[in-house]
Amino acid sequence: MVVLETVLDATWEHIILVYTTLFISMLVSIPFAFASLYSKKLAFFGLKFSNLVQAVPSFAVVAIMVPLIGIGFTPAVIAIMLRALLPIIKNTYIGLSNVDPELIDYAQGVGMSQWQINRYIRLPNAYPAMFAGIKFAAILANSIAVLTAFIGSGGLGEIIFQGLIGYNTKTLLAGAIPAILLAIFIDQFFTLLEKRFTRSYTK
Amino acid sequence: MHTERLFDRIDSIQIKGVTKKYGSRFAVKELDMEIHGGELLILIGPSGSGKTTILRMINRMIEQDSGSVIINGLDTRKLDPVRLRRNMGYVIQNIGLFPHMTIGENIGLVPKLEGWEKNRVKERVQYLLDFVSLPTDLFFNRYPRQLSGGQQQRVGLARALAMDPPLLLMDEPFGALDPILRKQLQEEFLKIKMEIGRTIVFVTHDIEEAFRLGDRIAIVDQAKIVQVGPPEELIFNPATKMVSEIVDTERKFKHMDTLNVKDLMSPFDSKYVFDSKMDTCDAVNEMTGRDLETAFIFDNGRLLGRITMVDLMKCRTKTQKLADVVRPLKTFQPLDSVAFALSELKKSGEYLALIMNEDRPSGILVSDEVLLKLI
Repeated sequence: MVVLETVLDATWEHIILVYTTLFISMLVSIPFAFASLYSKKLAFFGLKFSNLVQAVPSFAVVAIMVPLIGIGFTPAVIAIMLRALLPIIKNTYIGLSNVDPELIDYAQGVGMSQWQINRYIRLPNAYPAMFAGIKFAAILANSIAVLTAFIGSGGLGEIIFQGLIGYNTKTLLAGAIPAILLAIFIDQFFTLLEKRFTRSYTK
Repeated sequence: MHTERLFDRIDSIQIKGVTKKYGSRFAVKELDMEIHGGELLILIGPSGSGKTTILRMINRMIEQDSGSVIINGLDTRKLDPVRLRRNMGYVIQNIGLFPHMTIGENIGLVPKLEGWEKNRVKERVQYLLDFVSLPTDLFFNRYPRQLSGGQQQRVGLARALAMDPPLLLMDEPFGALDPILRKQLQEEFLKIKMEIGRTIVFVTHDIEEAFRLGDRIAIVDQAKIVQVGPPEELIFNPATKMVSEIVDTERKFKHMDTLNVKDLMSPFDSKYVFDSKMDTCDAVNEMTGRDLETAFIFDNGRLLGRITMVDLMKCRTKTQKLADVVRPLKTFQPLDSVAFALSELKKSGEYLALIMNEDRPSGILVSDEVLLKLI
């Protein structure tokens, strides 16, 4: 029998794991996407690498962490991150590079610096695509965080696996239902955030 | 960040021996030209002639291979491009409003980057929206795609004026609009041009637009300027066949709206002047002596009207003065359009008018002569 407290603890662990990973992924991906604007090579290799990682089954990515880095929270974060990078990098890069060149040209013409163009023109224009990428990455992270319980990350995955191993439906559901609710919450949360940031010009 | 003003007004822009090559093709070849302070100079020519390249070399969006652009004695290559551009307004054909910013944010962007405080930016934006006839409360918070093409173009102009630049660069600003809207915006722009009185360089491929708006027009063809001058010079003295084709000098009457009375009048001569107190009899002899059929009557320098030889013959009594037989006369200003003057003449049944510059006569307009010059 699972105690409510255990479920709440596991849910909290799960949330920490997902959002830590997401946060670090954004910290890595967004500057990388900006850097890719200035180097075609970097853009090429970055997208190739994250595409490749995306092609590997999630469970294999999680498993390969064990011989490479070991078990625990950090390897789990890295494993999830490898999967979450692609949607953010790809979408941010597309968003940034798909700005109408005429707008960039005009911005230069009125005397905006490179930094100001990135800050005031490219970034806000990339918001819709960027948020779609981050939302997708968050949902991916949430589902892979279930798998990383195998390598000792804790979280809801642990309860689900216990339930699976012991043929205990109640335990299984005690892990699975919060995981599903969490997924729905993440989706709604990012949809809301997206609306706030991209305002009415996209409607 | 605060950008220093480079110039409060433009005295002159000198383009000296400027060349720009793309591969082996010249976009601009050894160009020499001067743009005067306060004028609206039109650059016109076929597409690919180099007119936009010339414009974009002024704000260094394109760097010349050789030669120099000198504004008020300052070589633009020695200036920081960002600083240079902050001192100019820029309007482009496709307007380039930023879709993710409201109209207010679009117009106020550069002032904001210049570190103006919020209220000052807002006041400036409100002033400019009013200036281009867009009510602030309706437009301030709208997004560009909620506006019509004409409204967007007005916002584009307001945005270019945000920093009150002494120089405006306009690259086919009305090119993308339909003809009716274009005419309407041109009319409004003429008013704005009068009010702001700054130097404007304006690229177009529409000769009617050029004549309507330009003080001087530079015809650009194959990377060179073929001729620069005011409209009447291009119409009456086209330098090459190409210029006369662009201007359509074969049909000069088309340009009646563009041409001014001063372009078509005959020069005034003091021999036409008679004093109002002169006896009619003396006047007949005097006019015969000066070989005149018509004379203009002045009373202490004030124009009273005109007399004709025929009138004098009809009423010959000794004591009659010229003031008693004078008939009214149409007068025009040198800058009135020929079309206006001709239609006024026709209404009054006259064939002749005096052109007054302030209070001084400067020329005579004879309808038959005008028509001869136009054909």
